[in-house]
Amino acid sequence: MATVKLTNVKKVYGKDTVAVDNFNLDIADKEFIVFVGPSGCGKSTTLRMIAGLEDISGGTIEIDGVVVNDLQPRDRNIAMVFQNYALYPHLTVFENMAFSLRLKKAPQEEVYEKVVKAAEILGITEYLTRKPRALSGGQRQRVAIGRAMVRDSKVFLMDEPLSNLDAKLRNQMRAEIILLRQKIDTTFIYVTHDQTEAMTLGDRIVIMKDGFIQQVGTPTEVFDMPDNLFVAEFIGAPKMNTFKTNLVYEGGKYYVTPYGAKIEVTGSKAEALRAKGIGSREIILGVRPEHFVLVSGKSSNSIPCAIRVNEMMGSELHLHVEEANGDRLVVRIPTIALDDEQRKSMGYGATIHVTFEGKVMHFFDPETERNILA
Amino acid sequence: MKKNNTNKLQKRGLGAKASRRIGNAVIYVVLALITVIWLFPFFGIVLESFRVEETGQVSYLWPKEFGFDNYIRLFKETDFMRWFLNTGLMGVCTAVLQTVFVLSMSYVLSRLRFKGRKLMMNLMLILGMFPGFLTMLLIYKVFYDFGLTEQMAPLGLIIVYCASSGMGYYVSKGFFDTIPKSLDEAARVDGATRFQVFYKLILPLSKPIVIYTVLMGFMAPWGDFMLANYLIHENSAGMSVAVGTFEWLSKTMLNTNYTMFCAAGVIVAIPVTVVFLCLQKYYVEGVTGGAVKG
Repeated sequence: MATVKLTNVKKVYGKDTVAVDNFNLDIADKEFIVFVGPSGCGKSTTLRMIAGLEDISGGTIEIDGVVVNDLQPRDRNIAMVFQNYALYPHLTVFENMAFSLRLKKAPQEEVYEKVVKAAEILGITEYLTRKPRALSGGQRQRVAIGRAMVRDSKVFLMDEPLSNLDAKLRNQMRAEIILLRQKIDTTFIYVTHDQTEAMTLGDRIVIMKDGFIQQVGTPTEVFDMPDNLFVAEFIGAPKMNTFKTNLVYEGGKYYVTPYGAKIEVTGSKAEALRAKGIGSREIILGVRPEHFVLVSGKSSNSIPCAIRVNEMMGSELHLHVEEANGDRLVVRIPTIALDDEQRKSMGYGATIHVTFEGKVMHFFDPETERNILA
Repeated sequence: MKKNNTNKLQKRGLGAKASRRIGNAVIYVVLALITVIWLFPFFGIVLESFRVEETGQVSYLWPKEFGFDNYIRLFKETDFMRWFLNTGLMGVCTAVLQTVFVLSMSYVLSRLRFKGRKLMMNLMLILGMFPGFLTMLLIYKVFYDFGLTEQMAPLGLIIVYCASSGMGYYVSKGFFDTIPKSLDEAARVDGATRFQVFYKLILPLSKPIVIYTVLMGFMAPWGDFMLANYLIHENSAGMSVAVGTFEWLSKTMLNTNYTMFCAAGVIVAIPVTVVFLCLQKYYVEGVTGGAVKG
């Protein structure tokens, strides 16, 4: 249980390869923070700096108000789970989990009690006498988590712990981590490249790109109000559709004009535009695939598109469609909204008309790519 | 038509099997031949060592009379026991010290990153290309001044064997490199110091390489003749088995000492064989242990 504070943290490899720069973050006690971003964005490096496995090139890292820049990993009172589990192959599951306690020379009863308790929580009691090589991937990951649990550490670090598991197991373990979190109740920092994990696990998400923080916020915040185009496209699957178009201010109302359609901006978005006093201008418009709706025929506010790929996901269809200019859009339609005839008609080349509601769009500046309402 | 095809296929299948069998047979015959050629000298030496009727070289293989005369002579009439102990002592000391040096060197080069690491490795590679005997004259001069020749030669030799042993880090560094670094990191987060990582994690995981290093260290003094001969000179008290027994092969002594030399050869081979057989078990265990990956 501890707060973690990162101030102007910087990591430079060699002479001028900047991996992380100007990283500022306050992590509250017992908060679950997720670092997310594409590979090479510096998220793992930042985590490893917190763990003490990488030197810090600049700035300070504090755990519970103590600057830990020059402390060895073992003096930071942290626990860490690695992507490849990093179990000690020559030790049994019990000894793997007891490793840190043994190093501390904890009394035998304490070791036994703590390891067995952690094993019970994780449901691995029956494997305690096995060697790691006799375990499946999911079991190994549980042992790795158990090894971190017995330490009663201040901060729990997880570096892509689910990446080596298959999709089904990953979903299962994700749910278990949420349950685990309620049982352990400590500060978590979790690194992933998977936005689903980030959205489902994090109290707050830190989205990174090229070593810089792009946005910090709750899952709802980053989803509903992405700070910039990168965040908008990174969070949400399939990713947000973005296209250059114009915002038109006309007779006290705002319109967007993508591909010849004219769609009114309504609700909170229109109010926000008005409050900021924004006039007609060029923008990048962002619309999430699930916010498109099918309309039956051509009208002034619809966009005609030709279907190129039809992905049947079960509960919904992902339609990759091509607009007359050749721009590709992805449209997500709940299967339940379609009758049999409509479903059959959605083959390659078929034309559909789509539109979207005025309150769900996002506006970005074409130059800075920043959200003009943020 | 169809039947024809299957017949053909079956024939081809049989043909493949037959040719594989012939191939195997050829391989086994060649291997057996090589084994005989390899083992012949060893058998020869063992047989010679039990020969009683003649102490010099003879033109036949099987002794006419078996007995332990050569062995008895070896321990009663010569300093062989002393030489044997000298060599054994050197073997044990070298094995221990060399293992410590080589493994720490390999661990440092495999895990730590510091300035001059690459340069150091390259330099050692180049240095390693010079034959060891180039330094013999200098070693003799220095060791003579320090009194580490003749009777004290075994100590001097231990120093020589161990001093440069760190340069033989290649094999074990290569092995350490295959142990995932995240294991080190996990242990360090778990509260281990660098040294604890080394002896609680790296060493147990590197059993085969530790055994290999120990074996190499132990065997070096048993086989070394050149440098040992140079440092020991002709002092019987400081001799190793190789230097001591070699004298018996000189022209004047060959006829009286040849079978005794063979007996010495057998005795010398025993500890090395025993050590090897004992450690072989761990060797296999270590290799099949392997590290756990995803």
